[in-house]
Amino acid sequence: MFAAVRGGVVHVSLWDALFGAFALPFMGRALVVLLVLALVAGVVGVLVNLRGLEFVSDGLTHAVFPGLAVGLAVGGTAGLLPGAAVAALLGAVALTWLARAGVTSDAGVAVVLTAAFSVGVIVVSKSDDYAGALEELLFGRVLTIPPDEVLPLVLVAAVALVIVLVTVKQQVFRAFDAAGSRAAGDSGFRLDLALNVAVALVVVAGASTVGSLLVLAFLVVPGAVARLASARLWPLFPIAAVFAALASWIGLAVGFAASVGAGVDLPAGSTVVAVFVLGYAVVLGIRLLRDAGERAA
Amino acid sequence: MSENVVLRLDDAAFTHPGGATVNGFDVAIRRGEAIALIGPNGAGKSTLLRGILGLVPLTHGRMAFGGGSDAGDAAEGADASNRAHASNRADASNRARDPKHADRSMLGFLPQSMEFDLDFPISLEQVVMQGRYRRLGLLRWPGRADRAAVRRALETVGLSDFAGKRFGQLSGGQRQRGLLARALASEPSLLLLDEPFNGLDQPNRDALVATLRRLKGDGVAVLVSTHDLELAQQVCDQVLLVNGRQLSYGPVAEVLTLGNVQRCFEGVEVEIDEHTLVVPGHEGH
Repeated sequence: MFAAVRGGVVHVSLWDALFGAFALPFMGRALVVLLVLALVAGVVGVLVNLRGLEFVSDGLTHAVFPGLAVGLAVGGTAGLLPGAAVAALLGAVALTWLARAGVTSDAGVAVVLTAAFSVGVIVVSKSDDYAGALEELLFGRVLTIPPDEVLPLVLVAAVALVIVLVTVKQQVFRAFDAAGSRAAGDSGFRLDLALNVAVALVVVAGASTVGSLLVLAFLVVPGAVARLASARLWPLFPIAAVFAALASWIGLAVGFAASVGAGVDLPAGSTVVAVFVLGYAVVLGIRLLRDAGERAA
Repeated sequence: MSENVVLRLDDAAFTHPGGATVNGFDVAIRRGEAIALIGPNGAGKSTLLRGILGLVPLTHGRMAFGGGSDAGDAAEGADASNRAHASNRADASNRARDPKHADRSMLGFLPQSMEFDLDFPISLEQVVMQGRYRRLGLLRWPGRADRAAVRRALETVGLSDFAGKRFGQLSGGQRQRGLLARALASEPSLLLLDEPFNGLDQPNRDALVATLRRLKGDGVAVLVSTHDLELAQQVCDQVLLVNGRQLSYGPVAEVLTLGNVQRCFEGVEVEIDEHTLVVPGHEGH
């Protein structure tokens, strides 16, 4: 593999980028973590889309930030996941409670979001390597995940998936007809709490890999793509998960090819998210063409 | 007789956490019986329905489903509507008795026509299946019996051919019938309908009347809030006049008199002709 070396730049074939690269341990780990994240975020993201919770998700990504910062300050990189988990669960409870208390969702989220972020930046600013730490927290470290952090990340994502799979019928019911769902005996508060906790756990899993800013793309883009691709309910979930998985894989491959093959050092997490957005643009284009075709017919 | 009672209210009051209250309900609804719930806007019709559903707290009196699920309501053979208010108050404990959560699986509810996100990716069949969710709970997924109940409900409202269609693509009247099918899919013994005739055109209206008659024939009890006297006369056996409290309750012919209705609508000019209750200012509602 990578035999042809010419003038310091390694020749990377398409095969190498898409498959061979992942034989490298750090690339393999990145792929495993991103595929798990993609599967779970895709499924959770469909509910985020149906409930219109994109802004709440954004709030949670910011709420997690001070947890990451405190975790890093206290326990180094091993403290990231526990710190994020505590902050995310507190954020999820706070946002659910604010929504029930009748605080307009957007105002409540905006307050939690900015407050949390400022706390996070203050904590990070006390660290020795301010810029480096900030960058790692915001944009992740998908290629430098230590092997012993993979299992905790997978477990956190799995809990989010279980929460959503157990409540998904009732979540869709509530998304479609909140009053009808309450009349059928479902507790809106408990369903909202369950969904917000699931979102928060995805944010936790994503924040220490693709970073607390970019994980939002995992929660929002696949669900939006699925809505463009299908008007039927249950196919949305596999479509979103498969899209996220494909985009993660291609994103990692592109980043690898650019770095190793062309000497252009692309940050892996950002490259993955760029592929997500590109994929969204492609699906949107196809949908617009199809709609135009239907109108013409 | 009392084993046929599906819902009994004894001096029941329901109070919103915000403070609005409706009270004085002494009602016994039996299998196959339809009751028209009539009163001006803001009279508390929806509050009563939502109270029965458990969405507005019972703050006084008793509520029992299915004739005997609440051991506290030992009123064998007594007709609640005839009972004296005073003796009733005496035997009702001060603490209101709300039935167990599980009892409500015998309720079907058709909410007031409402706005839906018409782009929501859900088929009519999937909406109707939501009526089964209470029985299924969180962990179980719909099985053969649930799919059969959905099919029957769609047949009852005459929408079998539209099962796979996206809910948002149906007409307003079809959506209303679809939501009725959702209420029926739960195989209720008591069906609660909140102003089901609002905004329905004549064919959909006729279809709903026919459906309600069939349901009654099958032994389903119906409590329907309406301004539509034609419906009350065509379908209902009893009338419950409400304005903040129960004003009168009894057979349609006895209760639905001009005097009673005028008293109920307090000063609003009301006429009753052969078909309609003419209430100025209520047409748009």
